[in-house]
Amino acid sequence: MSRDIDRTNGPANALSRRQWLAMLGVGSATALAGCLGGDGDDEGNGGENGGTNGGENGGENGGTNGGENGGTNGGENGGENGQSQFPAVSGRYRTNSSASFETLNPVYNTESGAGTAIGRALDQGYTFTPDNEVFPLLYDLSTDSGEVWVFDVREDLQFSDPYGQVTAQDFVYYIQEIHKGPFNSANSSEWGEDINVVQNSEFEFQAELPNPQLLWPETFAPLEYPVPQGLLEPYVQEEDDEGLQQDSELLELQFTGNLGPFSLDEWNRGAGTSYSRNDDYYIQNLDYGPDLFAEAPYFEGADIEVVTSQTSRLNQLSTGEVDASAIPAPRFQEFQDNPNVSVRQIPQPFNSLTALNMRDNGWTGGPGNLFRYKEFRQAMAIAVNKTELINGVLRGLGAPHFTWQPRFSAFYPPEDRIEEFKFGVEPLVGPEMARQRAREALDRSEFDYRFDGDTLVRPDGNTINLTHYHSAGQETERLTCEFVAQEMDEAFGINVNVEAIDGTQYSQNYWSASPQGGTDTVRGEEVTWENPAPTNPGPRSVTSDNAWDMSNVFGLNTFPRNPLTNSAFFDGVTSFYNPVGYYPEDFDPASLFQQAREATSREAFNQAMYDLFANIAREQPYLMLYFQDDLTGYNPNLVGPIEDFANGWNFPAWYFDE
Amino acid sequence: MGLSRYVLGRVAWAGIVSLVIVTATFLLLSFAPNPNIQEAATQAALEGNDPAEAVERERELRGLDEPLYVRYVDFLNGVYTFDWGWSNSRAQPVTEALLESLYYTAQYSVPWTILTVLLGPLVGIYSAANMYNWRDHAATGFSFAGYAMPNFFFAIVISLVFAVWLDLIPVTYKTGVDVFSLQNLRQLAAPIFVLVTGSIAGTMRVARNESAEYINSDFMKTAKAKGVSPLRAYLYHVTRPTMVPLSTTLVGQLLALFLGASLLIEVIFGIPGIGKTTFDAIIAQDTNLVLGATLVFTFIAVVGNLLEDLVFTILDPRISFDDR
Amino acid sequence: MATQKPDRFDDVNWGELADNRRINLTINTKLALVTIVPIVLAALFDWQFVDGRETLTEELGSLAGEELGPVSTLLETVGVLGFFKGFGLSFDPTPVDYLFVITLLLFVFYIILVLWQNPRMTKYYWKEFRRNRPAVVSLVWLGILAVVGLIGPFFYPKPEQNVLHGHQPPAFWEIDNANAATCLGEVQGGMCQGTWEYPLGTTRAGRDVLGFIIHGATISLQIAFIVTFLVVVLGVSFGTISAYAGGWVDELMMRFTDIVLSFPTLILFLLVTYIYGSSLGLFIIIFAAFGWGGTARYVRSKALSVSEEEFIKATRISGASVRRTVARHVMPNTASSIITQITLLTPGFLIFEAQLAFLQLGADVPSWGQLIATGETDIEFAPWIVLAPGIVLFLTILAFNFVGDAILDALNPEAEAEADRAEADA
Repeated sequence: MSRDIDRTNGPANALSRRQWLAMLGVGSATALAGCLGGDGDDEGNGGENGGTNGGENGGENGGTNGGENGGTNGGENGGENGQSQFPAVSGRYRTNSSASFETLNPVYNTESGAGTAIGRALDQGYTFTPDNEVFPLLYDLSTDSGEVWVFDVREDLQFSDPYGQVTAQDFVYYIQEIHKGPFNSANSSEWGEDINVVQNSEFEFQAELPNPQLLWPETFAPLEYPVPQGLLEPYVQEEDDEGLQQDSELLELQFTGNLGPFSLDEWNRGAGTSYSRNDDYYIQNLDYGPDLFAEAPYFEGADIEVVTSQTSRLNQLSTGEVDASAIPAPRFQEFQDNPNVSVRQIPQPFNSLTALNMRDNGWTGGPGNLFRYKEFRQAMAIAVNKTELINGVLRGLGAPHFTWQPRFSAFYPPEDRIEEFKFGVEPLVGPEMARQRAREALDRSEFDYRFDGDTLVRPDGNTINLTHYHSAGQETERLTCEFVAQEMDEAFGINVNVEAIDGTQYSQNYWSASPQGGTDTVRGEEVTWENPAPTNPGPRSVTSDNAWDMSNVFGLNTFPRNPLTNSAFFDGVTSFYNPVGYYPEDFDPASLFQQAREATSREAFNQAMYDLFANIAREQPYLMLYFQDDLTGYNPNLVGPIEDFANGWNFPAWYFDE
Repeated sequence: MGLSRYVLGRVAWAGIVSLVIVTATFLLLSFAPNPNIQEAATQAALEGNDPAEAVERERELRGLDEPLYVRYVDFLNGVYTFDWGWSNSRAQPVTEALLESLYYTAQYSVPWTILTVLLGPLVGIYSAANMYNWRDHAATGFSFAGYAMPNFFFAIVISLVFAVWLDLIPVTYKTGVDVFSLQNLRQLAAPIFVLVTGSIAGTMRVARNESAEYINSDFMKTAKAKGVSPLRAYLYHVTRPTMVPLSTTLVGQLLALFLGASLLIEVIFGIPGIGKTTFDAIIAQDTNLVLGATLVFTFIAVVGNLLEDLVFTILDPRISFDDR
Repeated sequence: MATQKPDRFDDVNWGELADNRRINLTINTKLALVTIVPIVLAALFDWQFVDGRETLTEELGSLAGEELGPVSTLLETVGVLGFFKGFGLSFDPTPVDYLFVITLLLFVFYIILVLWQNPRMTKYYWKEFRRNRPAVVSLVWLGILAVVGLIGPFFYPKPEQNVLHGHQPPAFWEIDNANAATCLGEVQGGMCQGTWEYPLGTTRAGRDVLGFIIHGATISLQIAFIVTFLVVVLGVSFGTISAYAGGWVDELMMRFTDIVLSFPTLILFLLVTYIYGSSLGLFIIIFAAFGWGGTARYVRSKALSVSEEEFIKATRISGASVRRTVARHVMPNTASSIITQITLLTPGFLIFEAQLAFLQLGADVPSWGQLIATGETDIEFAPWIVLAPGIVLFLTILAFNFVGDAILDALNPEAEAEADRAEADA
């Protein structure tokens, strides 16, 4: 199966499904990539989204009411004469996808690939610029203190006949009846009981949050598609969830009016989607944003083709049959040298790590559990040579991962605070140094682990055997897994057995467990698990059905835009997402998060974050390995892609420069 | 008289076999863990709801809370009314999904079958007629080579050479093209070529071996002595008894190759046919679609066997089935 | 003393012969039992008493050390202990390995030994076989493969991952330096040259392709032997018995075969793999369990023709039992068809395994199919990863076909005699 990327998001309390399933920073509803199909890591997020990281879904903005001729006042001159400052509308924007789309129903869709396909015909509420600013599309969000958020809906948005104009009423109805109602929609958990949604006027409504959140838009909770009330009404009355899922107008995106750069012509389930240009795209009337939006979009149509074989996708890129596709690391250099392809190396915030099971059913190689001691985790981090790993597996196209933020994040700790925790690169690397560090941990264990020469042995004198799981079918993950196993062998003489496993199987039977709750003593204090979840079912004594030692099946989001979201992982031992049973040893992350939440200035907020991430670097709750870069190849005539995390936010402004 | 009774009996049996197999598949699928259920539980837990309750609701939604036999009866009803359910992985009715896929598969598999059935025995008999000659060796060698070459390997190489390097054929199959156009032929040429070279050898070999027995037999000598033209002699007198065991192999082989080869060819060339659809459905655990596809395949297989047996008994007058 | 008149067939007391309850074992069977039974016992021992953490030889070694002290001293004196230790403490045979050894032994005792026991027949067959030159070459190739597959793994190490050595070209080839992780050879004009450290180059993970081929040969042998054996046993039994018995027995058996034949094996395999993970053993079991249908039908059709022959009727009239007729008269005469079937079957399974590996569903073993699957994405700049196993697989299947053909011709006296005459005429 494909890469099962677990991404959690959201503030301390209710974690929504979207938050749970949310993918990369920008973009529309995405999902636990159940089956992106094929080698998920290699095609990354680039190929499907045509080289963006989902950004283009949000990236549709308005333009002036030009019409095809490109004239600003709707005149017939302008563009045709070639004198206009806007490029000519030409060509079709073709991309490929590694898997077919399960559904294009915007109410229910949770996959990123389908999200891109929907996004070609339908915009969402807002998106983010490369400067991390909210860029309003359908509505503008504003707040005083973060408790009451006001949605200001544009007045020139139209659904297709017979649904008329888009008003605040449509959004309110959608949220109240569908998301909060008995329907299984994609965003239903974003809108809990405690969020009060009220319509203020024809084009204004507001949401009253139970707790103030200054960065609410960054959590994507208020990011919605516009759906006509008239379409929803019959299903609401019947409470017909299944019918709503199968509604053909939703599936075939027949209602989109002027709400997207293109309109969907055909969806051939096995082959893909094709679109034609939407001349009335509302973004042409936007009086802010890039000038190019005035005549957007600049393609006559678009296609997304489903191509399962990676070789075929790359071949399409090199023959020019598609305009964008993701590139696997070993072939990046080759495409870089190819004059017919223009490549981009885009950093992204999903990390690659090795999870170490600190619960009672972890460390099956002997009594006790050496993973629980931070010195041992540090020793393991020292043993794994990240430079070699990145050069070998990623061919150098990635960055080493030291703490829970990528290097490009604004909240990455300053150099002096993190220098001594850069494990895995010079000078903190190598088997000898790893053993030294490990010895410090051995003293802490009550069992007699010791080094017999260069080999770590159990109290009974035998070598240690551990198992390391990785997701079946994922080449890069497997290579990483085996590399880590080799380094463990070299440094500690630990025999690590590498095993492939199906992502869903692993998630159900190894990673999550039945929530039981309980109490345990952490750093002298008693802590009770009030709200156990499958991903943190209780203290270390509560374990999953199957024992496991190490795994890299899941990569996690580090949320560089809204680092507070990471509280899901580290907000104390009872945080939402702690399958490994990590107990912070030398610091109190909960208090740091609280400090950040209460911060009144940006400076104070940043300080708290620096503290937090420096400590995490020291504690190494997971073996943090690397951040893989997104590698995408484009048609060299395509103007628009940028080498930034927000790539694709301004997708309507892309064009072919022939 | 004996024949029609036999045929009726076998047709009825075909129905029963399909039923048995589909039931087996149904049972298999119902015992497989369903990821959607787990997702629902997880989601509920995150929202602070009771996961057990969410699981119940999800099961209810998908009709999984009914006892097994109720679901089974519902399913059977659906099968015979051609309401094969809704495919979750393709967001369309199962029948639509299957018809669409069959449409694309037929475009390459019909030419493939025709070519194999025609060319295989022809080459085989030709080879047998020139036994141990260089012609025999060449023909045998050529068809063996085709068989030995793994289809998917061959397909990758062909795709690389003709699509990427020479730019003669498109890299992937485009569905918008007219069925009977030159463009469609261009993009189907490679898949059909790969498939035919793969399947010819089996039939050719059997044809050669079986007909070898008859070519040098007495009745052939008689025919030659009588002055029957060699062509008629071969076509009529040799082919007929050869077809007896050959038909068995033919159908068996073609059916066996059907799902395996077509799936790989479809994946490599990007043809959204029924092999690929079934495969995707299984991966996605789209129960309805998997069951529908299984039905189709089983039906083809059973009917194929039936035809094979009929042909066999018709062609070999020595075997009667009055005493069955 | 009158000379004893030879028994005339109408004097033969069939009742006595038929009633003969004594089981008369041939030497073949005896030898087979002697060797196979210990293996089965070892397998049971492995299953029951050897902990998952330890290996078989470790367990045996500790047993030998502790309880069988004198035995191990004896072995040491004789100088054989080293050999056992040389198997390595990590020699952990899997169920597939056991089955493989058993099948191999059966093959040796029931085919090789039989050939050896009947030198005249063997010489005759060999003479016929030799006429087909490509077949002889193929036989040599298969022989090499068998040897490599059986003892190669003891001499050549299993391919290990070494990411820094990814995409090394073979010794006489070169690759664009940009595509290799690091270059072990020299770099001439931007192209990284191959070295003899990796005679056939490496994969993306840095695994030695030659090692893959050698260990893959073992896997192919295992698949070939075990699956074919199981399928042939099941298929041939069903086919011949059904054909000979006729009537409702035939109908019943054939209808059952129908079901097995029509079963969507791939779907079953996918589902089971999805739940339990894929392994070589699983592959073998499922495909053996459902793959015999075609063979049964084919053999039956052939056997039906044979059953109508005169000599079968003669045997029946003489009073031979059904079992005897089937075993000693029907089966050997359908042998040629069976052999044709085998030579089509075995390569079929090899290809099937390769196909599954290509679909990412294969077992985690270093088979040729796995190698093709890993190398497929790199075919443009590192073609050796796909070409090496592809060519080897291709040649093996080709070899099977040629050999099968030649055996068929050798075993088929009618066709051969006529061909002789035809040649003489021509």
